[in-house]
Amino acid sequence: MTMLAEHWRIALGALRANWFRAFLTALGIVIGVASLIAVTAVSAGAQSEVSNSIRRLGGNVIKVDGEFISVGTRQTATDRTITPEDVAAIAKLPMVTAVAPHQDIESLVVSSGRRQTNTWLAGVTAAYADVQNQRVEAGRLLSSTDFSFGRSVMVLGLVASDRLFAGQDPIGKTVRVGNQEFEVVGVQARRGKLADENLDNRIFVPLPLVTGVLLGGGPNVVHADLRVRSESDIEPAMDEISTALRSQHKLPASYPDDFSVEDQASIVKEAQRATTTFRVLTFALGGIALLVGGIGIMNMMLVSVHERTREIGIRKSVGADPWNVQTQFLIESAVLSTLGGVAGVLAGIAATRAISTFAGWQTVISLPSLVVAFFVALGVGLAFGFYPARRAARLDPIAALRYE
Amino acid sequence: MTPPGSIIELADVTKVYSRGEVAVQALRSVSFVVHEGELLAIMGPSGSGKTTLLGILGCLDRPTTGSYRLVGQEVSTLDETRRAHVRADRIGFVFQAYNLIPRTSAYKNVELPLVYAGVPARERRSRVLEALAEVGLSERAQHLPTQLSGGEQQRVAIARALVVRPSVVLLDEPTGNLDSTSAEEVLTILERLNRQGATTVIVTHSSEVAQRASRILRLADGLIVSDEPVESVALGAAG
Repeated sequence: MTMLAEHWRIALGALRANWFRAFLTALGIVIGVASLIAVTAVSAGAQSEVSNSIRRLGGNVIKVDGEFISVGTRQTATDRTITPEDVAAIAKLPMVTAVAPHQDIESLVVSSGRRQTNTWLAGVTAAYADVQNQRVEAGRLLSSTDFSFGRSVMVLGLVASDRLFAGQDPIGKTVRVGNQEFEVVGVQARRGKLADENLDNRIFVPLPLVTGVLLGGGPNVVHADLRVRSESDIEPAMDEISTALRSQHKLPASYPDDFSVEDQASIVKEAQRATTTFRVLTFALGGIALLVGGIGIMNMMLVSVHERTREIGIRKSVGADPWNVQTQFLIESAVLSTLGGVAGVLAGIAATRAISTFAGWQTVISLPSLVVAFFVALGVGLAFGFYPARRAARLDPIAALRYE
Repeated sequence: MTPPGSIIELADVTKVYSRGEVAVQALRSVSFVVHEGELLAIMGPSGSGKTTLLGILGCLDRPTTGSYRLVGQEVSTLDETRRAHVRADRIGFVFQAYNLIPRTSAYKNVELPLVYAGVPARERRSRVLEALAEVGLSERAQHLPTQLSGGEQQRVAIARALVVRPSVVLLDEPTGNLDSTSAEEVLTILERLNRQGATTVIVTHSSEVAQRASRILRLADGLIVSDEPVESVALGAAG
């Protein structure tokens, strides 16, 4: 214990004597630790964003879309279409608890007075709110009476609401879509993003007004969202839906599906997976910074051992054994990397805050990640300090004493 | 086997350095005994092997062949760690260039051997202060080496050598870097300590220093060429 205190005193004294060199050397560790902490925080933030997103969107939702396909030069008659009959066939499947057909116009300009915005319009039925776990922040959802009376009413997503009625209460106001006017009856609660689609830049109107009035066409719809009872039903339900739709569309066996069936939660997870590659890369860069930092420490310690050759000789002559010398230098590099680690933890927290503020990403700093980062820094110091310390310990005392 | 009172017993000690292809015979069969309380001066021209001999006596180095018993213990075959422990417990060094640790107070320098010898902290303080008082530097305990004169630094080094109460104090040209006044102070301290019982070996090429010893051992080409007491000189000086 008394020896350890002495080692500490020597280590701190040596670092203080060359504090600027020590500071520069520790920078590598600071950067490495800080980036590991920031990346971990961003990662954990994205992770929690996924679960929040799935919670908001509701689980156990399957999305069915019509798709263009071409076989040779011919197109199938049912291209890009989910018909009301298809919807009925899906609704009959035992695992499916609710089906919400919808027809979307993915980009159109809507206006209110002189304000206008580009948004995504969805024509939905009363089942949509149920299947998609849709909630309102103000006003009400589209009701079955809206549908039965053919009312021209609208629910706004948060972004669309902000752009058209910044700061004002939109309920009761009018929004123009082409020649058609809609009364705003509700504002949808925050939904977040699904892959790269912002689900809050949406407006919702009764389905018949889209198919019949805005698009001026028949009763066909393109999309159907549906809910199954439980997560374990998702996979078999997707198979059953495929089989049912292929038979509805009378597709020959050699034809590919002219529709797609996707699990909504896996779309969310898939979107996050894309950014995982980026995070792994950044994490690797943090690791490389630590490695470079470690090499810097080794370099500095070798210089330090060299400069203090005579001091090592003196210590040995008054009774320091190789272990004493080795411990002294190991503690010095450990102190250096630990100080770098502490500074790195602080810099990492600051960097994470900055990322949250400026990039708007959700981040989560966890205590274990700070503790791990700290010990990684300590480990780097010990690992890269080992060789220089060993060299010091093995110096021949006579040669060391004669060293000028 | 060990005669009572013998501190150092060298028997047929040789030392060969290999410098590349060439083997240099630094010591060829050196044997002598140093008894408790002696003040031995080792003299010889440079290259005679006296520095090599001091390294072996101080357990900084090992003889190539032969036996070295320090207070009855065979130390020539010990490994580096064991030799370090022997140095910590039994040997005090004083070098020509003082060799204090830089940026470290006189007090801390003197305390250092006690730390390596594992002396408990509460006991160290009184022993350090006692050793500093012995060399007349109680007032300088907190001074850094750069704040001390050469003579004072060498006295700190002597205090550091004494503080572990070694079996033998080894000095390598202790007055080589000092002016005559400081050298005289250092030699006076060494004589007083020797009278108090400290077995002392001084390597020097200065006959003035050697004349203060009780016995002079002369080396040339790695061999002892003479080994005589200096009582006659001391008596002559007294008379």
